[in-house]
Amino acid sequence: MMVEIMAMIRRDKLSETKKALEAIGLGAMTIQTVNGRGLQGGNMMTDIDPVIPESFDSVSKITSSLTPAHYALAHSLTRPVFWIPKRMIQVLVPDTKSDLAIKAIMEANRTGKMGDGKIFVIPVEETVRVRTGQRGPSSL
Amino acid sequence: MKMIQAIVRPEKENDVVLALEAKGFPALTKAHVFGRGQQKGLSVGAVHYDELPKVMLMVVVPDKDSETVIDVILQSAKVGYEGDGRIFVTPVRESYTIRTGEKAV
Repeated sequence: MMVEIMAMIRRDKLSETKKALEAIGLGAMTIQTVNGRGLQGGNMMTDIDPVIPESFDSVSKITSSLTPAHYALAHSLTRPVFWIPKRMIQVLVPDTKSDLAIKAIMEANRTGKMGDGKIFVIPVEETVRVRTGQRGPSSL
Repeated sequence: MKMIQAIVRPEKENDVVLALEAKGFPALTKAHVFGRGQQKGLSVGAVHYDELPKVMLMVVVPDKDSETVIDVILQSAKVGYEGDGRIFVTPVRESYTIRTGEKAV
């Protein structure tokens, strides 16, 4: 059997995570840009997600990018929802390697502050490699 | 645990999120996706839209809460016309909080 490891991580930890996974022989992954929020309900304090592009000082940030409050006003919403930008990586591994991969992702991403992210482990029944038609763990 | 993936109308995203938050499920992930359903997109006159923009919301909850979350999404995302979206429920074997290394099954 195989498992899919789905991890929501900080944007600036992506390359470290990729290196950590490559070091244990897991080069193949899917990466997606997502927004999310955790149990704190999307607190946008800078120490939760410290990456603010350098071209944005505080003034231009307010005027040039749409803040959640601005969005809520423009769309007649009752209350803004604060989203934190994240990267989602999905790695498919055989059952035997899942603990190793989880450990690698955790060590690469742990800063000890809120917003480090979550890892979900989802069982996968079947995989097929499109080019050859191989099935099962050998197709990963 | 269960992962509930709901593909909803973009304009209903805020309603669904606030409804879930009111029931005590603040944590979720969203991604903007494109897709089509059984109607194979949308035809408006001579123009055919093959892929329509949707928002995918992903919530992971304990088994006992999954029915509640599904009900909340069904009620808050409903408009009554084709294109309201779908809900998929996937089993999740384990979940970890990276900050503490805590494991939940």
